[in-house]
Amino acid sequence: MPVSKTELKTRIIEALNLQDITPEQIEDEAPLFGTGLGLDSIDALELVVMLEKHYGIIIKGIEEGGPAFRSVQALADFIDARRASTT
Amino acid sequence: MDKLVITASNIVNADDARTARLGTRFGRMDLMSQLALLAVEPFAPQFESIARERIAICLAARTSSLATDAEYWKGRDNTGGPSPTLFTYTLPSAALGEIAIRHRITGPPLCFVGSSEVLLPEAAELLRLREVDAAVCVSVNVVTPTLADWLALPNSASACAALLRTGDVAGRAVGEFDRDLEALCHYLGAQ
Repeated sequence: MPVSKTELKTRIIEALNLQDITPEQIEDEAPLFGTGLGLDSIDALELVVMLEKHYGIIIKGIEEGGPAFRSVQALADFIDARRASTT
Repeated sequence: MDKLVITASNIVNADDARTARLGTRFGRMDLMSQLALLAVEPFAPQFESIARERIAICLAARTSSLATDAEYWKGRDNTGGPSPTLFTYTLPSAALGEIAIRHRITGPPLCFVGSSEVLLPEAAELLRLREVDAAVCVSVNVVTPTLADWLALPNSASACAALLRTGDVAGRAVGEFDRDLEALCHYLGAQ
């Protein structure tokens, strides 16, 4: 079953302690870093921890993490692909 | 030498931090940084009239970053490891950086661990030497329940701050023997 993007957005908000932002306000294709949510490098590390904690996915390098962290949609696709490859 | 004057002061506690909204960065900060930032927030209008590189930030962290260190340590067995965000706050000077970032202050920073009684004399010295035109003095005391257990100290979460300036500005003159920032802030707040 594909990962729920609403659940993923909720996990991101919780992991990063983003105040006054709801899952509905985060667009699926909006960039997570720079513009969009305006996350920084420490947030990227926090997302790596969140992925391992909640989805059991370990990201080993920027080659994997860079494309996956482009947007919520990209992250959801990445989680689905990882799950598919391990089943 | 121009007289030294406290032109603003403020005291905040954990309840203030819980209800405060100072942008998306604020929620990610540790309690010490949140309290320090909140204590300084009312000074923002005065910063507009001072060159940012001529403002010093003098911070006293009574228990250093121990409260955050303890939280970080508690997360060491979590899946994925402890929080990387928390790690950035395992330095007592982190709060100083947050104040500098928010208010774009680029003057000299001073960070002391322990008592705040050095704050006013050190800030006064910077002003007397004309190295700065204003000095933000902040004292933070955070003792979380975990830390209270470890150190046998009472729980605490508060910060007080004062803005020191020289010259013809309105405020309370600072005497040579003024040392107790908390008492001064309480006194000024009660007026």
